[in-house]
Amino acid sequence: MTDTAVVHQTHDVPQPKQHGKPGGILRHTSIVTGTALGLVAAIVTYAIGSHFFVPWGTTNADASQVGLNALVAATYFAWVIFFMIGIGAFAGPIRWALGHDLTHDDAEYMAGKDQGKWRYWKYTTDHKVVGTQYLIMAMFLLGLGGLLAMLIRTELGITWAEVFDPNFYNSLIGTHGIVMIIALIIVVTGPFGNFILPIMIGARDMAFPRLNALSFWLLFAAIPPLASNLFLGGIRDGWTVYQPLASQAPIGMIGYQVTIIVFAFSTGVASVNLITTSVTMRARGMTWNRVPIFVIGVIASSVMGLVWFPMFQYSQMLALSDKVIATSFYNPIMGGSVWLYENLFWLLGHPEVYVVVIPGTAALMELMVVFLRKPLFSYKVAIAGFAGVVGISSIVWVHHMYMTGWAPSAGYPFMLSTELISIPFGFLVLVMLGTLWRGKPWTRLPMMCVYAVIWDKVVGGITGVYLSDVPVDQYMHGSMFVVAHFHYMLMGAGLFAAIGATAYWFPKMTGRMLDERLGSIGFWVAFFGFQLTFGSMFVAGLQGMPRRVLQFDNAFNISNWLSTVGAYTIGIGMLIFLYAVITSWRSGKPSGSNPWGGKTLEWQTETPVPLENFPVLPVVTSDPYGYGVPDPYDAVLEADKQPAGVA
Amino acid sequence: MSAPVTEPLYPTTGEPVSINARRNRMGIWLCIVSDITGTVALLVAYSYLWSLNVNNAWAPPNDAWAPPTTFWLIVLGTAVATALMWWGLRQIDQGNRRGLMLAASLSMLIILVTFIGQIVQLSTFPFGPSDGAYASATFWLCIGSAIHLSLLLFLTQAIMGRTRAGRITQGNSSHVRLVAMYMTWATIAILLGAIFATVMTTSPNTNSPTFGTFQE
Amino acid sequence: MSIDNPPTIEVDQPEEPTNRPAADHRLKEWLSRGYVRRIIALSIVIGLLIIPLAWVVIHFMNLSGAPASAIMVEIERTMFVFTVVSAPLMAITLAILFYSLTGWGRVTGEDPPMQESPAIRTNGTAVVLWIAATSILAGFLVIWGLVELATITSYANGSTPANQQPNGQKAIDINVTGQQWVWTFQYPDQGAVTSDTLIVPINVPLYFNVTSKDVVHDFWVVELGIKIDANPGAITNTGVTPDKLGTFNIRCAELCGLHHAYMQTKIQVVTQAEFDAWVREMGGKRTV
Ligand code: HEM
Ligand SMILES: [Cu+2]
Ligand SMILES: [Cu+2]
Repeated sequence: MTDTAVVHQTHDVPQPKQHGKPGGILRHTSIVTGTALGLVAAIVTYAIGSHFFVPWGTTNADASQVGLNALVAATYFAWVIFFMIGIGAFAGPIRWALGHDLTHDDAEYMAGKDQGKWRYWKYTTDHKVVGTQYLIMAMFLLGLGGLLAMLIRTELGITWAEVFDPNFYNSLIGTHGIVMIIALIIVVTGPFGNFILPIMIGARDMAFPRLNALSFWLLFAAIPPLASNLFLGGIRDGWTVYQPLASQAPIGMIGYQVTIIVFAFSTGVASVNLITTSVTMRARGMTWNRVPIFVIGVIASSVMGLVWFPMFQYSQMLALSDKVIATSFYNPIMGGSVWLYENLFWLLGHPEVYVVVIPGTAALMELMVVFLRKPLFSYKVAIAGFAGVVGISSIVWVHHMYMTGWAPSAGYPFMLSTELISIPFGFLVLVMLGTLWRGKPWTRLPMMCVYAVIWDKVVGGITGVYLSDVPVDQYMHGSMFVVAHFHYMLMGAGLFAAIGATAYWFPKMTGRMLDERLGSIGFWVAFFGFQLTFGSMFVAGLQGMPRRVLQFDNAFNISNWLSTVGAYTIGIGMLIFLYAVITSWRSGKPSGSNPWGGKTLEWQTETPVPLENFPVLPVVTSDPYGYGVPDPYDAVLEADKQPAGVA
Repeated sequence: MSAPVTEPLYPTTGEPVSINARRNRMGIWLCIVSDITGTVALLVAYSYLWSLNVNNAWAPPNDAWAPPTTFWLIVLGTAVATALMWWGLRQIDQGNRRGLMLAASLSMLIILVTFIGQIVQLSTFPFGPSDGAYASATFWLCIGSAIHLSLLLFLTQAIMGRTRAGRITQGNSSHVRLVAMYMTWATIAILLGAIFATVMTTSPNTNSPTFGTFQE
Repeated sequence: MSIDNPPTIEVDQPEEPTNRPAADHRLKEWLSRGYVRRIIALSIVIGLLIIPLAWVVIHFMNLSGAPASAIMVEIERTMFVFTVVSAPLMAITLAILFYSLTGWGRVTGEDPPMQESPAIRTNGTAVVLWIAATSILAGFLVIWGLVELATITSYANGSTPANQQPNGQKAIDINVTGQQWVWTFQYPDQGAVTSDTLIVPINVPLYFNVTSKDVVHDFWVVELGIKIDANPGAITNTGVTPDKLGTFNIRCAELCGLHHAYMQTKIQVVTQAEFDAWVREMGGKRTV
């Protein structure tokens, strides 16, 4: 597939004036300066603020509480802003405004040239560094969320006593939920969208390398406000933080709001970057019908994130404003509306589940062809499926609000749109089944994840069909049935796909094979634990157990015991998998550059991938799915459709 | 996609600047898309609370609505600054660097004045942010436009700086276009806010139930 | 014919597509392939295993005494029908999934397999059939859902068909207030009697006005199959006609803070006479 392409050699290009040594101020900044400056700024803000903070415009609310809220919010924002200053994020805009444009040497320094491992701790623009950072971050968040999940299940498994204080239990649920949601939003597009996608399309880097670093470090800066909530009273209101309950919450809630506001910028920036890269930076010859399907999936997911994330962001800005300047968007006594919150929240909240599921699905499509050595079945149907899901996903949010009484007759159109979305979603299933059809699977871990995920999607899909129906939802809404359903989609289809993608691209990212035996043991233990956990949670839901409760009727005991046993099984499986990842990363079997025999471009370049990815830019002459032999049954029809051989 | 030999090359990647400009344009469009959603969220909040009048608490105390003129003055300022920036783009494309410098400086000054006007408006409302839903929503329309204006302030002065540093030339003026595009959208956003604030004052819903009871 | 020795003769004889054998002929040939037959058999087996799920699901829902209203009957019927109608597609999907694990052979080992599978890029018939099947299924679900929603809405509004409403009574209005963490029920037509358990007569339509004094709660009468949010600053409505005597559960289905888990109470469906007696007794104690 590779051919020589003309590349402009940058040393011939007239360079702007070099200001100082290459890299400028960024030579001196790193996570250390960032953290230091951020902490100092936060402490100073808090100290000064607690003396002088004048609550602004508070004629109706309890002024001291508002003042405290404002102080905490200011402290968090001081941390975020000064962390970003300290790590050098503002150097770019300032240089741009002054006209001190980057030279090629500056750019190479910023991409981490010759800085060894230290580049992972700096504002490094190389997409491979950012991808690796995202992978670690996602694993960290999943670990944190998983730990909280174990605590939740412990409480629910010990049916005869209250293990935790109810307030603490409620914050466990809320923190677990939002941590997992953030983790799953980044878990595929972060590591693989950044590390693999540019190589896959034959680019030297992302379209906006500095935005790439920005997106990761914003995410990084957003984590401490979130994590600190557990010490400041917690997020007691579930990950949806419905109003006005959230306005009763202690100051930990401000951490949630700050995190979402910052994280939304991070996702927005990342989406702009991923879309622009995929659209404008493809190698020569990579026309739209030759683009690997993973790229399409990432575009689809980024479009949804880009378009809808601001809704969530603004919902939280207004919530924060209710807290710090005593506005009343969500305070019904003063004219606010809970339905306003719910609408803004779910306008993102629903597309969000597709943001999670689609890139994972696309990654599995990408890898299953390699393990089946068959072309992807109906590439066009797959694209239509992604496009359909993206299109319809924006007009289904009200299915989360069937029971709010907001607009009872909205149930009719939204039931329609919700059930219609199962048609394009069905396209994706068809593509996967068609690709499996008559293939001989090479049963390595990535491929086995495909089987696991399809199973989970069938379960999640069918229960989703129940829930999309208003009469049925009238029974199921707010029950454990819903929790089980969305775990099948988010964890069963999203996380397990991410595990498949990790196993598949691990060799490219680390140069080593993921330990097949340990990895598989971990995965399958987790998979069966998962079925037990959430299978029995369905039963609890059917019996009428509400969600987000820590005590319940004895009728629900048995299913909860089983569920807890299952949860510990997942925990054990995940620990084994984590162990496999860590040991393989350090001392796994070297993989060579193309251990799976894949045809996409990322496998055609060496491992470890050189700084600018390709010595010469590739030219693409066919799509990457030219596997397979003529079908003996109907060679007649297929013979002339064979793509030209690829290198 | 080989560019004419005379076209300047982009220093860090060595591609012709037009390729880079195309990429940046797409980036700006995408930013605008997501900014549109954010602005729509504010407008939805405003109009939805207006239509509900929950607990009869939409109106500000004593029906002291914000005077609409200020909103329109701010729209005017932004629009003029935007027009100037487009005019500056025309100038540089004709090789008139001083024209661009003039346009960018004027544009920056007007934005600065408008921004100050916005802050003055925010601090002189006849109500505080906690005086009911109308007050909240109006404050946020204005905070939204203050955020836009502060971005424009940065962008316009950056165009000045870059022109002065000689980074914007006849064949390489795409950054002016990008800034002008964004300014155009910001004007529309501020305009929408002004329309909402002018048109939607008294709530159409006069019989909302009293909080916590079943009395309408 | 089995997969192990597919017909190879045709490979070397390219023909014009116009010379392809007639459709029924090709279908016959296709159906005679070993893997096709085995997948069909597997689908049937899986389908037969799935369909009983429809009863299992309803069994769990009925453990605590449901259905106690026509609405709940409709909900359970919908669950039943949805399970049954989606069983075929589920079964085919799972059959292909399981079959492909080993059915067409499989490869193990360290190195990328050399031998490759058939290069099937797409298949018009399969695509059209699949899209048709899923669309018909989705269309059916939508239509069923819309009709059911209209039905339960009319039940909720007390306008049940005459044969379901024995005496054609007027609905009893009940004002439901959610408050951290208790429910209060007030009967405006019965002299504003208030109670924290819901006592209602059988076979009389009930009409609920629901609101909250603080945060969002959700009024869920489990075995009667009704649910509506209790929102601060707004009044929402729902309704039901209980048709089974007994004591059932009311649970809060929206996280409402510290004691959300304990925000439960009971609904007692009693005879009209018992209800009247209760109202008299309560009315005597606290008339408003
Ligand atoms: C990728 C993995 C996971 C994701 C994305 C995820 C996501 C979520 C989300 C979004 C919630 C909702 C929180 C809320 O209602 O506010 C939740 C709740 C919950 N999750 Fe997870 N979770 C994951 C893994 C797990 C695991 C492994 C367990 C353990 C068995 C678990 C158990 C629970 C439980 C018990 C709840 C609380 C349900 C309730 O009472 O509302 N989750 N999870
Ligand atoms: Cu949804
Ligand atoms: Cu509750």
